[in-house]
Amino acid sequence: MSGRHVIAPAATTNNGGANIKPHRQLASMKAEQRFTDTVLYTILTVMALVWLVPFVIIVLTSVRSMGDLISNGVFAWPREIVLSNFERAWNIGNFSTYFRNSLILIVLKVPLGIIIASLAAFPLAKMQFRFNNIIFIFFLFGLAIPIHVTLTPLLVMMKQLGIQGTLAALIPPYVVFGLPFQIFVMRGFFRTVPSELLEAARLDGATEWGNFWRILMPLSAPALATLFIIDALATWNELLIALVLISSNESRTVPVGLLQFQGQFSSQYTQLMAGVLISITPIILLYIFLQRYMVSGLTAGALKE
Amino acid sequence: MSAITNTPPNHRPTHRHRRLRLTPYLFLAPALIWYLVFLVYPMYQSLTISFMNWDGLSADIRYIGLDNYRRIFFEDDTARLALWNNVLWTLGTLLIPTTIGLMLAVALDRKLRGRTVLRAIFYGPAVLPLVAVGMIWAWMYNPQFGFINYVLKAIGLGFLARGWLSVYETALPATFLTAVWGGVGFPMVLYLAALQAIPQEQYEAAKMDGANGRQLFWKITLPWLREANVIVFSLAVINSFKTFDLIYTMTYGGPGRATQVLGTWMYFHAFQYYNAGYGAAIAWVIAIITLVMAIPYIQRMSRD
Repeated sequence: MSGRHVIAPAATTNNGGANIKPHRQLASMKAEQRFTDTVLYTILTVMALVWLVPFVIIVLTSVRSMGDLISNGVFAWPREIVLSNFERAWNIGNFSTYFRNSLILIVLKVPLGIIIASLAAFPLAKMQFRFNNIIFIFFLFGLAIPIHVTLTPLLVMMKQLGIQGTLAALIPPYVVFGLPFQIFVMRGFFRTVPSELLEAARLDGATEWGNFWRILMPLSAPALATLFIIDALATWNELLIALVLISSNESRTVPVGLLQFQGQFSSQYTQLMAGVLISITPIILLYIFLQRYMVSGLTAGALKE
Repeated sequence: MSAITNTPPNHRPTHRHRRLRLTPYLFLAPALIWYLVFLVYPMYQSLTISFMNWDGLSADIRYIGLDNYRRIFFEDDTARLALWNNVLWTLGTLLIPTTIGLMLAVALDRKLRGRTVLRAIFYGPAVLPLVAVGMIWAWMYNPQFGFINYVLKAIGLGFLARGWLSVYETALPATFLTAVWGGVGFPMVLYLAALQAIPQEQYEAAKMDGANGRQLFWKITLPWLREANVIVFSLAVINSFKTFDLIYTMTYGGPGRATQVLGTWMYFHAFQYYNAGYGAAIAWVIAIITLVMAIPYIQRMSRD
């Protein structure tokens, strides 16, 4: 890499000389570049518009009456903006209950999972012991384990615990399926914290427990924030586990509630899309404001420097 | 051991060493216990169930050896169709969203105006719940009022209009197209991160040597993306075999059983048809495929 560093400037001076031919070449390259950029820009804009179409369609569908939709078609501008679809979806569709349940789940599950994962990540990142690597790989395999393979036994287990069908039944599996990724990210982050900091604190009589809470966790605030957002999102979106473990209407989360709603109002398209829009609005807002955190977290987890 | 024998007896360091050895496990304990109780133990149980004939409710459990697995591969046409659909889905995912994601990453790595907004648009669908994505697209595909047929009619291709999700030939491709909409964001973001790690001097040097754009891409860019490729490809395969939400929301495995995948077929058997044993066997087929496919991925992730 450093070798290239030396070669590049030398080549520049060679071409930047009084030679006319390379000069022209450079000018034509610039023109070519501009042309490529224009073409690229056009293609990207068209693609972006295509990508936005579904969003436009949900909005156009949900703010009009059914009669307007049928007579004028989905892409026509609404004759009249109708907001009652949202009101009815929220009330008849029970979305207030689904929102409450998903939020409760996020508040209980996400911090719990992240703390357990961080506790485990500390020794994996900062201590030397015999099974360090094996335990780390053991956790990593969780990334590939399909939820499907635990469902029937989990259902039986929750029945035995007497919490089957309630929100509480979702917490153990949700925590488990978040752990591998969170342990991976936190271990990576803890490793960037200088060991001297911990060593100095130890000499001052600090315990490992104290080091974890007073040094590592405060320093990891950015990583923790990212994990919090990603995990809250995953919890809000999860379908399969909730579908199997939740049975009563009062305990449904947003995705299961949406499916229920779809079954109930299958041909009331305007209302159906109002419900969908309600369910994705919090996520879209979160995404618009916190996009940076969400995306950086994903790559931090997947790519290694 | 050597640490202990090297230190004099009845001296504090011995004590400290022993404590240090236990400490890692104390920190690991909550995660390990949680993992063993709610993941490893259920997996073991479902492996046991997969050798049984059991409805999932009654006390009537019968050991039948590998019969459930034999049924998947030799007797149940739908299971084989589901496996085939998963293979098609995987190949499609490896090819289409990955390529689009890579092209978008290369394009958006340039200093174009508005590239932040463009990135946000292409990644956006990836953060939505798949149930909502499925419902939106099911509405787009609606035979009477859907947007797709509306456009086809508007541009004079009305003869192509159809019930995309209710016709055997188009149901799976139509569902897959929905997955593409939501699936280009992740590879794009990963490739973007990988592209930003390439030292710019390499491009400059090659350009001075007269390399054209295509050569730059094949000779410099692609080799630098090897790491990202392993991750994108592995996750594409793993997630394709886990597919459930979109199929369940959009087609419910239909028309007929045309769009069944292993994930949905497992769900129907375990929780609708009361074949818990058979469902567990299908789940284990998925698990074995994804775990094997994850090996290169986990090797990368655990490397220091």
